Amino acid sequence: MAEVKTRSVSFPRYAQYNCAFKYIVEQALGCKYVMPPALTKRTMELGTKYSPDFVCTPFKTILGSMIEALEAGADTLLMTHGLCRLGYYGELAEQILRDLGYQFDFINLSDYDMSKKKEYIRIVRRFNPKVNYARFLVQFMEGLRMTEYVDDITCEYYKNCGFDATDGQYRRAYQDFLTAMYTAQGRNDVEAGYRAAKRSLQSIPLDKPQRPLRVGVVGEFYTAMDAFSNLELEQKLADMGVEVHRWMNVTNQFLRYGSGQKNLKVKIQDLSAYDMGPTATANIWYARECAERGYDGLVHIKSAACTPEIDVMPVLQNISADYKIPVLYLTYDAQTSDVGLMTRLEAFYDMIDMRKKVL
Amino acid sequence: MEKQTIKIGLPRAMLYYRYRVLWRTFFQELGMETVVSAPTDRETLERGTALAIDEACLSLKIYLGHVAALVGKCDYILAPRVSNFGRHRAMCTRFEAMPDLVRNVFRNERQEFLSYEVDEEMKKAGEEDAFLEMGKGLGFPAKAVKKAYKAAKKAELSHHRERVQKYEQQYKKEGLKVLIAAHSYVAEDPYMGRMVSDYLKRVGVVPVRADMVDRDAALKRSRELSPTCKWEISREILGGIAMHKDDVDGIILLSAFPCGPDAMVNELITRRVKGVPMLNLVLDSQSGTAGVETRLESFIDIIRFQEGKL
Repeated sequence: MAEVKTRSVSFPRYAQYNCAFKYIVEQALGCKYVMPPALTKRTMELGTKYSPDFVCTPFKTILGSMIEALEAGADTLLMTHGLCRLGYYGELAEQILRDLGYQFDFINLSDYDMSKKKEYIRIVRRFNPKVNYARFLVQFMEGLRMTEYVDDITCEYYKNCGFDATDGQYRRAYQDFLTAMYTAQGRNDVEAGYRAAKRSLQSIPLDKPQRPLRVGVVGEFYTAMDAFSNLELEQKLADMGVEVHRWMNVTNQFLRYGSGQKNLKVKIQDLSAYDMGPTATANIWYARECAERGYDGLVHIKSAACTPEIDVMPVLQNISADYKIPVLYLTYDAQTSDVGLMTRLEAFYDMIDMRKKVL
Repeated sequence: MEKQTIKIGLPRAMLYYRYRVLWRTFFQELGMETVVSAPTDRETLERGTALAIDEACLSLKIYLGHVAALVGKCDYILAPRVSNFGRHRAMCTRFEAMPDLVRNVFRNERQEFLSYEVDEEMKKAGEEDAFLEMGKGLGFPAKAVKKAYKAAKKAELSHHRERVQKYEQQYKKEGLKVLIAAHSYVAEDPYMGRMVSDYLKRVGVVPVRADMVDRDAALKRSRELSPTCKWEISREILGGIAMHKDDVDGIILLSAFPCGPDAMVNELITRRVKGVPMLNLVLDSQSGTAGVETRLESFIDIIRFQEGKL
């Protein structure tokens, strides 16, 4: 029997989660992982050039990242299914790449009925027919745990990094943690990396006022989490001296509430009786939560033409009116400039800072 | 004392064009009255635009204008949540958001809204269950509601069948035939697609509709063009194109700016359907018809030129 070739798998860049994809592909599936290059202006230019005009921006980003992954040596691309237009990304991206002449194997989760457990086995076997299931399960769970660690540390980082009393130790500790995750080869590396990061973040002295400005970030699943796509909004806000809080991440949205968000629904029945979109319930719940906790402002992030998040905006406007909490609405497209964002953020900061002093 | 009849407002936009017969028959069978907003005009659009988020699609802006026109004129305005009819049979997420969306936009008005929820994939809630629950919620006995739904569904299906037959006849007509691929609420709205079909008729071209086909057959045929397409209406259109692309002289992909599903599906159609002249026409809230007519005129010229008739 002919030797089965080991696949070189890639998945487009997505926030800080590529370390977990890498871990799962290498340790659980036993394939090679090709890390797509970090997102740059070139990625966006490539993606925009070959995408339809008014598709949502993450499609353009992902298409650009897929091209860069293929250039970097990937022979197999993975694309996920999804509840909004995301569920159609795969087929269209594949068609565009094939029309351009790229050759690759494409594993599109939209091809599978993900409500059936058998389908998962079919998918795993496609990656590697000789996969060791015992090893797969253990390492897959560890990959998920890495995702939780990344979310936990990222959450802590943006809450405190604006108040670092040293010459940048806080940021370095975060970057050391990411390096540890991106290079982890096994369970011990993951656990040790997490513990070391937890310890160092807690030991670095902070210079935080008694009542710091607190801002909650809500929004669309890709752009709100991906620092390149939102032009490092969280870092920029934090650097002004703001505690930045974001609930929306893979851990909260999928790993903890994967089976439905019924219990988040309870407190927002008056605002939204049904599920308005894939991330609407969580965003509305969290926006009200921030308002009730007396946060100083909210930032709503979405990519241009993101239908579900456009539909959440009237609800956020009502929350804003009810609780007198300012909301900054940001729409990102392929052309959004750093300078323009900075101007808007500075104005927003000045406003919430002034309100805090007056109120 | 005589019981007051309940008055249900139906906004003449979005799903109205798909479900008008179902809705009207259902409510009338139960002895309710229906009021429909007047056809879209400039004022509808202006009111809707003022109420909508800037980036929302033209169809939603028009829809909100129709809802505004009904506020205060009926007991309930119907705003259903139609999410999906099963796997790969979804509606645009906007139809999931609709009941909550209108309640939030119009929360300062004293207006009641009426909803039903179709979500087979997540909640196993089909259309019949949804109507049963809605009817019972309005205080009607389950038996009467069931009967009304059955009658309404029958009327809807036979109405659709008649329209399909009428459109099938169009393919036999002499002269240039152009297939319009659009959501029904775009194709039939006087402020959007109607000006396209009116213009085509004026210059002697026969307009046909991609979505006016047998729906079950279209869903099956859509897989030839796009195996993972997840939107019900887009799949009907894809199926219609697969069935009829050889019977027409050209295809117009007609969409409202910036329609989410169309942005992707139309790109796929232009990449996969070959050998038929195709025009990708995106409508925004323009104040005149001249721009659209120029593009249609040149498209028709191209078809005639290619066929050696110019």
